Amino acid sequence: MNKELQHTFVTLLEENQNIVHKICRLYTSDQDAHNDLFQEITIQLWKAYPKFRGDAKFSTWMYRVALNTAITLYRKSKKKVKTQEIEPISFKMKAEEYDDAIEQQLKLMYEAIKELNDIDKALVFLYLEDRDYKDISETLGISEVNARVKMNRIKTKLKTVLNP
Amino acid sequence: MDELEFLKKDWQRKEKELPKLSYDQIHQMLWKKSSSQVKWIFYISIIEFVFWIAMVLISNIPSSYNGYDVEIIEEIYHRVIIRVINIIYYAGLLVFIYLFFLNYKRICSIDSVKTLLKNILRTRKTVNYYVWFNLVYFGVSSLILLTILINSHADTIQLHEQFTKNGQETVFYVIMYGLIIFLIGIFLLIIWLFYKLIYGILLKKLKDNYQELKKIDL
Repeated sequence: MNKELQHTFVTLLEENQNIVHKICRLYTSDQDAHNDLFQEITIQLWKAYPKFRGDAKFSTWMYRVALNTAITLYRKSKKKVKTQEIEPISFKMKAEEYDDAIEQQLKLMYEAIKELNDIDKALVFLYLEDRDYKDISETLGISEVNARVKMNRIKTKLKTVLNP
Repeated sequence: MDELEFLKKDWQRKEKELPKLSYDQIHQMLWKKSSSQVKWIFYISIIEFVFWIAMVLISNIPSSYNGYDVEIIEEIYHRVIIRVINIIYYAGLLVFIYLFFLNYKRICSIDSVKTLLKNILRTRKTVNYYVWFNLVYFGVSSLILLTILINSHADTIQLHEQFTKNGQETVFYVIMYGLIIFLIGIFLLIIWLFYKLIYGILLKKLKDNYQELKKIDL
């Protein structure tokens, strides 16, 4: 494939790499697995890139290919490490704004999401990424209504985790 | 506030601490080999083709028939029934090569998750048919070949005569065919287990995911 295509692709991926990293975080539980999945997604994106017509946004197209790879094409036996890495290191917010209880809740929710099956995880991921239901339904290949129903069920599930 | 809305905010805030790969690091990745499972399913099917074709070729080497005249073997291979079976088998092989190729082409990471899973399951189905095709072929052809061989091998002919002399012809056939069916049965069982193992491992989780998607879509 020609050099220019490669350059555009790598540049675009570099700009949008966050999407891939986030999927890796959700679908893997250690750094090695994270890197492996990132690489696999990169390869799949590159293979599919010639078919990317530019009628959708690059990022939208990326969601689809990357999630597909995580759910179907990539399947190394993942060790069930309890979700240590998502501990909220990020909470550098002011203490008066968020107390320990909230941190604890967030942690619980992330843990619960990691325990979901691959498909539900994808749904939650797209939801957290603020994609609309039309987008979600197209990516997963289900109807919009079903995506909503399913999402509501997951919400309820998460609520029970928080308020047992 | 809705818990998930809250989580969404946190999720987006966390974006800052994601790792950052450089242009060069990403560029390098393009040249690494893909480890995708679907690719392996396809490769394994190809390896199988090569394996079975190699088996057919090996079984055609006269030296592997100890105790048989090359002439007898030649004669057997020219029997119409053997020819017909071989033609059916090779035609079948060609059809499956074509189907595997179609499946491989069809699997494409830009489909929706559901379409992709469906295609992967289709691949799985094709593989299943292929396994059954092989099992039936090997079962039937071994049975026919061994029958012909019993009736043309010097030792078995002698044995047959001895049994007939003692008036135990039925016993002879019962023993011979019992042995043949037993051996073929074990052989087929091994092949079947082998397939179950390879494809079972590769496709178990994919099947679960597909069931999950189907449940959503009810």
